Amino acid sequence: MRRWHGPHLAFLLWFAPALFGDGQQLVKTLTVPPDAAVQSAALSPKGDFVAAACRDGRVRLWSFPSGELRQAFDLKDQRISGVWFSSDGTLLAAGGDRGAVRIWSLPSGKLKDELSVGARVETLTISPDLSLLAVAPAGVPAQLWDLDVGRVLTALPPKFAGSAAVSFSPDGKWLASADQDTVIRIYEAQTGALRASSEDFLLETFAIAFSADSRYLYAGGADKTISAIDVLSGKVARTFPKQSFVVGALRLSRDGKSLAAVYFDEKGFSNPAPVIVWDLASQSVRTTVQPGVAPNGGGFLPDGRLLLTSSAEGKLQVWSVR
Amino acid sequence: MAWNRAALTRREILEKCIALGSVSVVSSFPVAAVLDAFGQMEARNRRPTPPNEIGPFYKKRAPETAMLRAPGDPGMPLAVSGQVFNTRGDALSNAVVEVWQTDHLGHYDLDGYRYRAKLPADHSGGYEFDSVMPGHYPDRVCQHVHYLVTAPGHKPLITQLYYATDPVFEGDPDRNFSRDPLIHNRELVRPVMLTGDPKEIQAAVRFELVLELL
Repeated sequence: MRRWHGPHLAFLLWFAPALFGDGQQLVKTLTVPPDAAVQSAALSPKGDFVAAACRDGRVRLWSFPSGELRQAFDLKDQRISGVWFSSDGTLLAAGGDRGAVRIWSLPSGKLKDELSVGARVETLTISPDLSLLAVAPAGVPAQLWDLDVGRVLTALPPKFAGSAAVSFSPDGKWLASADQDTVIRIYEAQTGALRASSEDFLLETFAIAFSADSRYLYAGGADKTISAIDVLSGKVARTFPKQSFVVGALRLSRDGKSLAAVYFDEKGFSNPAPVIVWDLASQSVRTTVQPGVAPNGGGFLPDGRLLLTSSAEGKLQVWSVR
Repeated sequence: MAWNRAALTRREILEKCIALGSVSVVSSFPVAAVLDAFGQMEARNRRPTPPNEIGPFYKKRAPETAMLRAPGDPGMPLAVSGQVFNTRGDALSNAVVEVWQTDHLGHYDLDGYRYRAKLPADHSGGYEFDSVMPGHYPDRVCQHVHYLVTAPGHKPLITQLYYATDPVFEGDPDRNFSRDPLIHNRELVRPVMLTGDPKEIQAAVRFELVLELL
């Protein structure tokens, strides 16, 4: 998926006051130079690294929870539009505002791949076997890349505009895209062949996440609901209770039983908006927190904790949801 | 010698091309008539409207209505009109113009279709709608209306309309249009005509749309 909230929602970061609400605990504060304010961040799946896209054009990588700064990468003098880890945590990717993509191996920090997609990178995702990359440039069709040979396999065109979110299924069979024409499309991951599409959404979806068994795709966005889409048919199988806020990000727990949804208020991005942890079996609320700080990254750790990151006064804060 | 672009007219260049053999005229009409027709066709050609981001809140299946403003709606009444062409200058009577904007306070309607419409072009490619001047959306610097324009055989156009009266431009959009980082082209900032008496002032804007052929 594109950064944490998506590029046109990144304003959330600029309004974040340095406050914490009930149910949150500050775990770590990571500092950056004054001119390098953190724009967005990512937490590695194992929770051993935190990466941040900084306004000075560098990607900073810290060990977590020690907070030791490991590396600072650059992106060919481009502004960083987002950072993402592969699902196994062995690769770190960054996209730039003029289309550069670089992928580094972890923990070595060695540059593994370098390519260009021609326009600002909105979001990207790496397949579970690390052989494929799906990347969405701004306003134009997403591209499916074969990383082994370093070439584009195919484009994934909507009726118009580009994609807001892309994600591979955990079994590596499917690639889903939430497109700006409001359609959600399911492709065969290896070929990019369209296999199903869901045209029921009137508004754009900003966040998608596959179920652990790859059978369902959870989708949330401007319609303020989360829908579970049957991957084979593209039909909406069930819909979660509608909230008062727009869904900006989704994260699945490691055991596949919970889904964290980060919401925002489209009428004012500094307005309070909740983070809700949903129980997937019952589609009921497991936990609700009202952050005083707008999250810009995070996810579930193997031990079940939900960690979220946010920027405040240029620093990057990592906090846990109780 | 420095190349002087103004030294030769377009017609003179064509005549020179014919003389040098780089252009051939195969027609029963005189060369002068063909050159005139060539010039007229070139004059009809239009540059495509600059694209602009679609933004996050497009909603499909908007109602077909030219009246986006409900009676009693606060905000300055606004009338927008224009024509849809392609780059050859043909008016596109089969174009469909979708527009969406905030209310006067800068709020999008996500639950319904307030200030959203689908406008089929008329026989001359014309479109028009009545609305209110949109407010400033929290994420954005400038007031704007979103456009999605489609026509068979043409590339969809996604763009935005901005107003020269926007306070952000401080009366000088030529100099200040880039204060909104999403405005890459001055052409999207349109002049505003104010009509009516001071008690019932209305704004009117024309925005022509030019689509590229597939």
